[in-house]
Amino acid sequence: VSAHRRGGKAAPTASAVRKRKAVPARPAAARRPAAPRAAATRPDPRDRLRRVLFLVPYAVRHPGIPVRDLARRCGCSEKELLADLDFLLGVGSPPFAPDDFLDLYVEGDKVYVALHQSFSRPPRFTESEAAALAAAAQALGGEGRERAVKALRDSVPRDRRASFDELVGRIYAGAPPARDSVLGRLQRAIADRRAVRLDYHSASREADSERVVHPYTLAQRFGHWYLYGHDTARGKPLAFRLDRVRECAALPERFEPPTEAELGRSRLFSEQSGDKVRLRLGPSAAPWALSRAGIELVRRTEGGGAVVEVADASVEWGTRFALSLGGDAEVIAPPAARRHFVETVRRTLARYP
Amino acid sequence: MQKDQRLLDLAALLLKAAEPVSWREIQEQFPEDYGGTGEAAIRKFERDKADLLELGIPVRYAAGDEDLPAGYLIDRDEFYLPDLKLPPEDLALLYLAGSAALAKRDFPYARDLAHALNKLSFAARAPGASEAAALAARHLSAEGEAAPDAVNRVEELSRAIAMKKRVRVAYLGAERRERTERDVDPYGLFQRGGAWFLAGWCHLRKDIRTFHLSRIESLSVNPAAPRTPDFQPRRDFSLAAFATRETWEYAKHAPVRCRVRLDPPVTAEVLASFGPRARVGEEGGATLVEVDATNGEGLLRHVLALGERAELLAPRTLREQARRILATLAEELS
Repeated sequence: VSAHRRGGKAAPTASAVRKRKAVPARPAAARRPAAPRAAATRPDPRDRLRRVLFLVPYAVRHPGIPVRDLARRCGCSEKELLADLDFLLGVGSPPFAPDDFLDLYVEGDKVYVALHQSFSRPPRFTESEAAALAAAAQALGGEGRERAVKALRDSVPRDRRASFDELVGRIYAGAPPARDSVLGRLQRAIADRRAVRLDYHSASREADSERVVHPYTLAQRFGHWYLYGHDTARGKPLAFRLDRVRECAALPERFEPPTEAELGRSRLFSEQSGDKVRLRLGPSAAPWALSRAGIELVRRTEGGGAVVEVADASVEWGTRFALSLGGDAEVIAPPAARRHFVETVRRTLARYP
Repeated sequence: MQKDQRLLDLAALLLKAAEPVSWREIQEQFPEDYGGTGEAAIRKFERDKADLLELGIPVRYAAGDEDLPAGYLIDRDEFYLPDLKLPPEDLALLYLAGSAALAKRDFPYARDLAHALNKLSFAARAPGASEAAALAARHLSAEGEAAPDAVNRVEELSRAIAMKKRVRVAYLGAERRERTERDVDPYGLFQRGGAWFLAGWCHLRKDIRTFHLSRIESLSVNPAAPRTPDFQPRRDFSLAAFATRETWEYAKHAPVRCRVRLDPPVTAEVLASFGPRARVGEEGGATLVEVDATNGEGLLRHVLALGERAELLAPRTLREQARRILATLAEELS
């Protein structure tokens, strides 16, 4: 037999040093799983297969990747990953050809998988993988989205493309938030690590200002898209709502990317962004409002109403939100937000003599 | 042999084979699984083949000719994920959009999305900065832990939509505040204002209805014949058209022409909020917006939310309603 198989038994402790151990190849019929697994907790076998079909090529491409990193990439626990590696040792189709071998071992906490020819790249996108990605991309928009969706479609196996087309029409993740050109330029700038000059409309000041920003990423919160990046004039990372970016131009200047740790600590809104806006809702407004993202319940009130709070909201936003509930809501705190609400109601009423 | 092992071995065997592999050879390689001569072995193999197909592994049967024997094969070109050959900004779009969606955890097909994002690093020669930006997007977009119930519900609904299986839902109505049970043919999922909705044919109301996912109290997918569709969506149904309806375009009454006056300066955001079907004019320095409403209440609320810069001009009944709401509020506030 010309197959090479080596494997350290995968123990769940990452610190244990594992030796390379030759595992003799056996005919398929004689192979048995290393240990009986509990049938009740056993997940869908296809899940493991999908993971493994990514794990092998990824580990081949990144020799010595730590168990923890590989597990994170695969979206599973370290224990599951080690069980997957164990599982892989038992796999290999007969008859073994000289060029077909799987060399897999864990040393310290690092994983090594030498080339397994059949699985050097992951399989094509399934129609649901590609459709989920396409739906997400369509909601973000940009002039590239048509190209991106087409490329996704082309990377689905030929006879699954009709299913892809149908599935794409079954998820609508929202309308693109901003004019396409701005978004396209931002995406390009993020990919190129290039600074951008923004013409930005600040809602709290009702004024436009020019900002030079190192664009780190785009993120979504409460149904809105934000650019998150380092504002050079203010010397700190800030969030910019995308539908308030009026114009955007890439600058020749490139920037050093933030470390993963820095990004890990970052937040879309700073903690001290003011008091939470508090509203009292009547019985018809409460169920509807509470099903919205970002609305926190403070307490239920008699007759089916509720008191709620909204973080990161301006006084203008509080007034708008309360009035959109058709008279069944009022802003109660903080005082500035309350004042704004009361005055807006009076002034608006004056338009209806 | 365990199923996951068998599927992977089968895929490896067919990928490696220089020519189609006959059923007899396959049986010889997997004597425990496909052995014997009965129909049962063939059916088991066919089920495995369907599973592989669902994993994106295209196993097919070639009829054979003078050059090649008949048998099963996997076209390598059809198997391996190709390079998408996208420019950097398009790749960034996929990474960023996908990661932000994944962070919410209640995105439809979330597990598939996670796999897709993983695979993306093989579908591009140099993902570079986009991959790091995507990790950050995922971190920033996460809104705490989504309720496991909500995550499971979206997952179940995603499958039901893909397989066209009927679902039974217990639904809590918003205003009536009552719980009703009904069968729904799930047509699709759409997101609006950060929340997800199901659109589908409601067997109780005999109409296409939308359901706020957080108000679905329980859900069960028709368990019979999981691979056979229960329905076909109506041909005239477009999810995008349905999802982009303005609130005053919900079908509540016959269309009524409504007019709104906006005082300057009118921002692009405010103008855009009336949707693509609004007619915009000018009168004495003010902007006049005209829409056809089939749910006047929706327009009323929208105009009220714009504050003192907006005024409902017509119809008279809606204008009167606006005045009444504001007067009542003003009285309560004084």
